[in-house]
Amino acid sequence: MHDLTVLGVICILGVTCYVMRAGGYVLAASMRDDGIAARFLRLAPGNLFIAFIVGGCLSGGLAGFVGTLVALVTMAITAREWAALGAGFGAALAASAIGL
Amino acid sequence: MTAAGFRRGLVAALPFLLSNGAAGLVMGLTYKGLGLGAEHAILFSLLVYSATAQAITLSMWAHPLPVVAMVVACIATNSRYLLMGAHLRQLFGGLAPRKMLPTLFLLADASWLMTNSDADRNGPDAGYLLGSSIPMAIGWVGGTALAYAAPLTANEPLRLAAALLPTMFIATLLPSQWKNVRSLWPWLTSAVAALLVARFVDPSWSMLIGGGCGTLVSMMEPKDA
Repeated sequence: MHDLTVLGVICILGVTCYVMRAGGYVLAASMRDDGIAARFLRLAPGNLFIAFIVGGCLSGGLAGFVGTLVALVTMAITAREWAALGAGFGAALAASAIGL
Repeated sequence: MTAAGFRRGLVAALPFLLSNGAAGLVMGLTYKGLGLGAEHAILFSLLVYSATAQAITLSMWAHPLPVVAMVVACIATNSRYLLMGAHLRQLFGGLAPRKMLPTLFLLADASWLMTNSDADRNGPDAGYLLGSSIPMAIGWVGGTALAYAAPLTANEPLRLAAALLPTMFIATLLPSQWKNVRSLWPWLTSAVAALLVARFVDPSWSMLIGGGCGTLVSMMEPKDA
């Protein structure tokens, strides 16, 4: 893949993320808190996360599913992101090693 | 925006040097496993600066790069920033845009939460937002750079990390999204729709379409879950 192509994509994604960060602040003056768009945005993240996890588990196979499940449970118990990531990755490695 | 608020935020967020450093290291190792060069990986963490967006776009990495799908994914998964930004306007609306807009470049979930909490205790201070954002950004970008400085090569665990960590990143954010039992139906809808889209349409669109379907179900509730 051409370096300039990758660089261009990174810049586009960087600008997109900044627009999301600054956009709410800039648009807040004209956005109704009780509008449909505001409600959709407020409700979207959890649903998007679930859909993303399902897609990831599907492509990661059984080891991926085990790792994701362990990460999720560890996070729910400890509320520590990197403990959850460590436990999940360890579980996925173990599952992969035993041929799952 | 005061210097005292900046210092208060900077000190309060120092632990994030470690946690974001570890996270950035994992992200950097994943980029390394993908074959991305150090400059590109560091620039990615610096400009995009979002674990969610980076994890999701990483999972979509292909030849050729699906740029439109990646942009849509960034918009969809970072839509919460719109609301955070709108809320910050209520706190710091009187501040000059030339001060606030650059600060928002470093806006993160944790710095937003910390700023809200500090505003309750000490009154709104955009200096706190900037101060608390800096250790988080240094940790994240520094961790990504460290992954390339460390003597690690792509091996089986690294390949596994590249394949699985994006999903796990998102999974760790899930408990914070659970509101109550009314989250169940939208989440089930999202999961089933994502499964169907991944199986019969295209895996790269499963999150957007699945999440959109679930959100529509959420909106049918008279009150937010």
